[in-house]
Amino acid sequence: VPYADLTRVVLETDQRQLPRSHAEKYELKTIWYWYPLYCLGGIAFVAFVILTITGILLGFFYVPDGRLEIDPTTQNLTNPAWNSMLVIMNEIPFGFIVRGMHHWGAHIMIAAVFLHMCRVYFTGAYKKPRELNWLLGVVLMLITIMFGYSGYLLPANNLSEGAANIGINMTRASPVIGDQLARLLFGDINTLTGVYILRWYWIHVFILPLLGTALMILHMGLVWLQGVAEPH
Amino acid sequence: MEIEHVKGKIMEGMPGFPRQYGPVRSDHQPGIPFFPQETARDFVLIFLLVAIMFFLSAVVTPFLGPARSPQISELIVPDWYLLFSWGLLKVADIFPQFTIGAGTPLKTEFSAAFWGDLLSGIPVIFLLILPFIDRGREARPAKSPVRSAFGVAFLLAWSFTASLYSIREVVAQRWQTPNGSPLIDDIAMKWFFVIPPVLVGLTSYIGLRRLGFAPMRRWLVPYVVGLTAIVEIQAAAILLIPGWLGPEVRPYVVELGVFFLVLLAPMLVSSVAVFAMTESSARKWIVRSGVASLLVFAGLTAGLWFSSTANRVGFVWVLSVLEPSMNTLLLFPIFAVVTAYLGVRRPYSTYEYLLNECYQCGKCHTVCPVTKVEDDALGGLNLVYNTFKKQHDGVPLWTCLACDACSAVCPLDIQYSDYILEERSKVHARMAADGGKRE
Repeated sequence: VPYADLTRVVLETDQRQLPRSHAEKYELKTIWYWYPLYCLGGIAFVAFVILTITGILLGFFYVPDGRLEIDPTTQNLTNPAWNSMLVIMNEIPFGFIVRGMHHWGAHIMIAAVFLHMCRVYFTGAYKKPRELNWLLGVVLMLITIMFGYSGYLLPANNLSEGAANIGINMTRASPVIGDQLARLLFGDINTLTGVYILRWYWIHVFILPLLGTALMILHMGLVWLQGVAEPH
Repeated sequence: MEIEHVKGKIMEGMPGFPRQYGPVRSDHQPGIPFFPQETARDFVLIFLLVAIMFFLSAVVTPFLGPARSPQISELIVPDWYLLFSWGLLKVADIFPQFTIGAGTPLKTEFSAAFWGDLLSGIPVIFLLILPFIDRGREARPAKSPVRSAFGVAFLLAWSFTASLYSIREVVAQRWQTPNGSPLIDDIAMKWFFVIPPVLVGLTSYIGLRRLGFAPMRRWLVPYVVGLTAIVEIQAAAILLIPGWLGPEVRPYVVELGVFFLVLLAPMLVSSVAVFAMTESSARKWIVRSGVASLLVFAGLTAGLWFSSTANRVGFVWVLSVLEPSMNTLLLFPIFAVVTAYLGVRRPYSTYEYLLNECYQCGKCHTVCPVTKVEDDALGGLNLVYNTFKKQHDGVPLWTCLACDACSAVCPLDIQYSDYILEERSKVHARMAADGGKRE
């Protein structure tokens, strides 16, 4: 039984209007050889969904506290955030693989977003009337990069420390409001107190997801309304 | 031929000639439905992506280093997507550093970090204003070579070299001469910001224009010959000016000369080829000399590296001359030969290049006078599309009147009659070559 046709017939008999594919809507007979690259935005979105799921799971166990403390047994310098990473990776069931998925999902999402931008650039899909969607896309790419940056501040390891230092120095270099901006974003003008972990935790799990999800809905809504840009 | 068809004049409503077009068409729905076919395909992609993530997190486990501590011990390298900004921050010390408005609330320090912020902002500003600068209608990469070449140079090459600069310390430590100075010095790394992106941009421009059948000789000859001349002059200066080569490199001057020869030979061949040869023989000679010199270069490198320790030391000294000038001595030969090849290479056939823009609107078919009298053409034909797909010659080659009505209505300015005339002339050329006999 041709299952696909049968489903279609049943649904059409029921007078349901299905969303039609791009090729179907415009009766395209040719598929341009760049079309495989048109899935990159979708890949970024799928990666974002997976990141949301794994991020919620990690959020149950992560402790956003970067204050320095001495480990009583080994006398090493640690902090609660880093210790909670150890717990997630070594003690929580499936914690290691969930953290791994979150890590690699982030890399895939950023790569997909960059390549998606390149695809839109090279096929001229940003042109009139899609300027607004291109601007939304640029903002979304910056949000994605900020997601990545805040994400690798959170483990509170050496890399986080170095990245936070660079971030604080770059923020402080802005004229006039530099120090105030650094206090706002990082909690302090240096990394000693470790308060930047809590600050960027909130940015990572609340502010960026809120902004990002809203803009993603707009971004995809505009594609829905305006249609996929044909390379003609 | 049915005379009624001609009497009717207008073919709409005949079998295969719908009155509705596009999304409103109700007689049938061609194409692949969204559900379940496209949905199934999308789920395959999604599962594949999840599988890749599982695989990576199981096999390449993310690393959790030591807990943060106020002393920064080792070299910090951020994740790959921030390397470009880190590289720009590092290169920012070439800008003047001063302070304005000291002692006032508006004190602004033009420090390296400030310049780094500004430099990182440039790509963002470019991306934000892009749709307002580029207002042209051409969308395909090969059709707008300036935009595409700039994209390859800036989005790909420049962000790569900017990222590369962020690991300058690693490069300086990893590759060194026997007496411990870096093979690729900081100045050469700084020039990476300029020379490779410019070369990539020019090469892409020439290659893409060639795809669009532009005669690129006027660009190609100065470009290839100019690059060759620069490398020649530099090589001659290094070999001939006394005191240029250090005392450690002096004993290996013969090896150095051989390497210069290997690098220069394909450039000279390419220059002569683009300047004086016909395109088909130029193409052959450029490829031959390029491949030969690549093989000889690889062979010499492997031979010197693996034969003996003394040879290896000599090879490293040769590299100590080549690598600080790698922007010219190593990149120019590669780009000269590749560009020469791209500039004379046989592009797609005109036929595919010009006709593949068709999106099957069918206007050409509606106006074509020949289809009104050719039974063959009934049944939803589309002249350009069917010709492109080689499914059916929309209008048989010899019945086309070349009246150009199709080109006049084509929304994409596809010159169908030009194609017809070209194909006819090809048949004539073949007949002439066969001594006047029909195929």
